[in-house]
Amino acid sequence: MSIREELNQWMLENLTGEFEQIRWRGGPGDEDSSSELRRAWEQKFGEAGWIGLQWPKEYGGRDLSLMDFVEFNEEYARHGGPGRAGHIGETLMAPTILAYGTEAQKERFLPGIKNGTELWCQGYSEPNAGSDLSNIKTKARLDGDHWVIDGQKIWTSLAHESDWIFVIARAEEGTKGRDGLVFLLVELDQPGIDIRPIHQISGTAEFNEVYFTEAKAEAGNIIGEVGEGWKIAMALLGFERGASTLGQQMMFQNELNLIIKTANENGRADDPSLRRRIAEAHAGLKVMRFNALRMLNGTQDGSTSKEGYISKIFWATWHRDLGELAMDVIGADAEIIEDELSPLQKLFLFSRADTIYAGTNQIQRNIISERALGMPKEPRGTTNG
Amino acid sequence: MPPFPFQEDHEMIREAVKGWLSDWEDGGKTLHRVAKEGQGFDRAAWEGFARDQGMAGISIPEQYGGAGMGLLGRTVIMEETGYTLFSVPFFSTCVLAADMIEAFASEDDKKDLLGKIASGDIIISVLDGREKLSLKDNKLSGTLSPATDAAHADLILVAAKDENNDVVLTGYSPNTAGLSVTPYASLDPTRSQAKVSFENVALSDGQAIGKADDVAFSQTLQIAHGSLAAECVGGGQRCLDMTLDYANQRVQFGRQIGSFQSVKHKCADMFIALESARSASYFAASPDLDDDRAAKFEAALIAKNYASEAFFKIAGDAIQMHGGIGFTWEYPLHYFFKRARGNRALFTSSEDGFQMLADQIGLKSHASSISGE
Repeated sequence: MSIREELNQWMLENLTGEFEQIRWRGGPGDEDSSSELRRAWEQKFGEAGWIGLQWPKEYGGRDLSLMDFVEFNEEYARHGGPGRAGHIGETLMAPTILAYGTEAQKERFLPGIKNGTELWCQGYSEPNAGSDLSNIKTKARLDGDHWVIDGQKIWTSLAHESDWIFVIARAEEGTKGRDGLVFLLVELDQPGIDIRPIHQISGTAEFNEVYFTEAKAEAGNIIGEVGEGWKIAMALLGFERGASTLGQQMMFQNELNLIIKTANENGRADDPSLRRRIAEAHAGLKVMRFNALRMLNGTQDGSTSKEGYISKIFWATWHRDLGELAMDVIGADAEIIEDELSPLQKLFLFSRADTIYAGTNQIQRNIISERALGMPKEPRGTTNG
Repeated sequence: MPPFPFQEDHEMIREAVKGWLSDWEDGGKTLHRVAKEGQGFDRAAWEGFARDQGMAGISIPEQYGGAGMGLLGRTVIMEETGYTLFSVPFFSTCVLAADMIEAFASEDDKKDLLGKIASGDIIISVLDGREKLSLKDNKLSGTLSPATDAAHADLILVAAKDENNDVVLTGYSPNTAGLSVTPYASLDPTRSQAKVSFENVALSDGQAIGKADDVAFSQTLQIAHGSLAAECVGGGQRCLDMTLDYANQRVQFGRQIGSFQSVKHKCADMFIALESARSASYFAASPDLDDDRAAKFEAALIAKNYASEAFFKIAGDAIQMHGGIGFTWEYPLHYFFKRARGNRALFTSSEDGFQMLADQIGLKSHASSISGE
């Protein structure tokens, strides 16, 4: 049986009962919904053996190929599988531990990710280290058998739902930029950590500020060496190689279908200008899919192909435009909130984040022009934030 | 699953075509010559390319004397001819006419005409006269313009509607009584355009190629036009390459202009448009779609519209990034800008194309549908 059929069978049998209410829920912009149920779902998913499929067999994985993993993700999205509470652990933390962690770290951390009991969040951005990520000010010092951490992280997705955070911090006094950083694994439930939700444009709160005041991590919870933090941090970002992209596109298709349905119901499907914008959105989504397939075909060796560079800015811009289109199709009725924000209202508001997080559109254009097109590098300023 | 299965032989063809066309364009001099004297057609080059190099038959099935390399083979060639604006009737003859003949002609006509196309021994111009030509008493009347590559065609393949709304396809020699071909100066001087008039031209004076259902004819025509996306990708790539070369050379304010963020970001946007158009073009050529006509039609519709919009935007941005030099006749960018504008309008305009796509995805309209459904 193909992985697609296997999962199809399981989803039909298990995305039922109380879990029915989180079908299609918990995606971006909706990540703080039904968190307990989604946590329970993550564990059920893990118990069934669906987490870590790409890992080597010796760590409980199935060594699944990239294309099979893509099919798996598509099938999950086709069923309206709930946004995965453990996605940061599975797609970012685990591959990093597998590539750079010690045997002891693999034994300690992989099982919690695999069985869905330990959720992770990402401690990268700081108030003065956004686009200029290497401007890290959070400090870490080794004190006997513990690291002691002081500083602040921000825009930490789902910190309030998570058990662990991976943190880049400055361990060598007086260093700047990419030097002197460490990559630490820190347990969130401790007195030295204070998590404050950020109330967003959408009224929801997926993002948080995380304050560290003499927070502690075991001395062994460092990935790589002191000074290798930047290398590990960037490698982690490289692991998200688009396998989930096609699954994400299923969700986009669902949103577009809702817009088409709305336009047909309220008669705006007749407006030539809106018809063209909807048709362009449809074409854009198809092109996004072709881009992803082309990229996945070309990157079996893990390097970024030329077309790979356009992936983030393309989907982010497309999705933000889709939010605007949704509002224009609904018209004046979009002003009214009944009970809670409708899915399309959430789309409109939350998609403003898409072109900002994970590298703003402006940073993406810098990356494209410098790395894909080989244009001169941006000169660095001298003012310290 | 892999949708972009270019094989080694496609890449060999690409390298061969690239080299040959690079010699042809002669550092840009040839385009000026074609624009000035050739009325958008370089006959010697066509004979060399189509006949001697054997490129005319690349996507013609093997049983009719071609290389049988399908849509992917033709995509490779169109990308390279777009890169150089190679001024020959490859699209008219080897794509449009070949597809019409393969879809609607009798086996004998296929053997004859596809064989001649494959060997580079015929130039065919395809004219869609379904709206503008009248067919009464088995005689055609009316004027069609612009008629691409008709000025030097050996055969004019014209479509008209009969009283049952079926499409009648007829092939005419340009010397047929009542038929006149008048070459035009074209806004895009590297493409040949003409006006073709029919004055009571008898069906019996031409070669009856076949009959087609109106919707099937439209779909075949649209799928053929999907290959134009590859030309747009090639042209867009050339505009971006020229812009990058220029931005890296030109110094203002003591810096290469390519070091300014406003220029870098514009180039990044050109690249995004180009690579996404390339994906659309390759996907429309994918053999994975061969068994699914509806999917193939939609992919071609998207590729043609998406890529021609992208090419036009890229070409316009390229002129802007070049500053004054981009505005001169001497510098060849304007030829690409003009080709891009022409491709947007060819067959279905982008506006019509997106409205057709809107029908296709189930947007209900009270206005009459133009997709023929």
